[in-house]
Amino acid sequence: MSKKVEPAHAGTLESSDLFVRVVPCECEGVEIELESSVYEIYADAIKATILESANALKATGIKIMVQDKGALDYVIKARVEAAILRAYGINEPDWSVL
Amino acid sequence: MVFSHVPSTSTIRLAKVKAFLERMGLDYSPDIELFVIVQENDDIVACGGIAGRVLKNIAIDESVQGEGLALSLMSELLKVAYADGRDELFLFTKPQYEEVFEACGFKLIDGAAGKVILMENRYNIEAYKNRLHKLRHSGEVVGSIVMNCNPFTLGHRYLVEQACERSHWVHLFVVKEDASFFSFRDRYRLICEGLSHLKNLTIHEGSDYIISKATFPTYFIKDKKQIDSLYTELDLNIFRNHLAPELGITHRFVGMEPLCVVTNEYNQQMKKILSRKAESPPIEVVELERIEYKGEPISASRVRRLMHEGNLEEISHLVPPTTYALIEKMLSENEEKK
Repeated sequence: MSKKVEPAHAGTLESSDLFVRVVPCECEGVEIELESSVYEIYADAIKATILESANALKATGIKIMVQDKGALDYVIKARVEAAILRAYGINEPDWSVL
Repeated sequence: MVFSHVPSTSTIRLAKVKAFLERMGLDYSPDIELFVIVQENDDIVACGGIAGRVLKNIAIDESVQGEGLALSLMSELLKVAYADGRDELFLFTKPQYEEVFEACGFKLIDGAAGKVILMENRYNIEAYKNRLHKLRHSGEVVGSIVMNCNPFTLGHRYLVEQACERSHWVHLFVVKEDASFFSFRDRYRLICEGLSHLKNLTIHEGSDYIISKATFPTYFIKDKKQIDSLYTELDLNIFRNHLAPELGITHRFVGMEPLCVVTNEYNQQMKKILSRKAESPPIEVVELERIEYKGEPISASRVRRLMHEGNLEEISHLVPPTTYALIEKMLSENEEKK
């Protein structure tokens, strides 16, 4: 996607949820900044899920900042997708890629 | 539990928030624009305020602590802030709550007197410190000055000249917050123009970390006629522990302050805080005499008063030609509007 990125967020800081912020960045591709209450055990798996969601939407040049409170996979996916779509200002996503 | 927003303009509801804060032992911050509150059976059980890019007055009643309400409240506060495009946030709290806010993505910058800490959600201070480090100049005496210059006067010029004469290098920081009569752009430009003759001087644009609404909110609420010594200490701790070491600063120069209460108090406390024992090296505070015109010290507040009176003749003796040109232009534009 080459549309202009505006800062956006999704989610909450409550238990079993996560707070996702997407901001434009100078980087190539996607940069991830993760803090998690289960970082020691699941950091790699969470990062992989975030990256997968971002790649499915072909997002580039963004930084994704995540405060995770032990969210399950599908929650992570939904929150990251929502934040990215908001960042790109897309109201009608291509559901087939999600 | 019901969440709602209370803007500072809603007097009746704000009174309830103030009463709650008082019960929680917190001083209400008059610069807050909006409170997010949590109510249970009409009673406020938690609240948090937003003032610009600073979150503060965050309190949760004991009766509902331990239920994860802090996280819900913070989620709501962050949503309000981010939705408004305020991305880089600061937060004031008590030291014992550091962990709670760490769990919300905030990191500690520094604190004061074991009573208050300042945190931020992007660790920008590290990047700022790296930028400062590159501007380092070596020398036995490396001076520093922090100025608002609202506007730049002959008094300011004298102070910086004196500092440059006594130091190998001088770092001058210009307060960046646009809360003064003269805009930051104008203040910065007048300083650069008025000091172009000095060769051992770096003029820095200020930042969030040096006399800003984050480090020193009470500096900008002068009608209170008093300042909170906690914020003074916080601002000075950040200067000494984080900024000064990057530049190798050994001295800080200030003008004697006979007229402004806030600045005078700041000077006195500065001497104590910058020289006391701590991990970072001490910084010597040098108070310089003010120059006078007609037996009265030259100060920015005097120039603003004369502007109000339209006394251009007297102003011309207090400010350099560059500042005079701007004031003349401002006054004549004002005249046209009338």
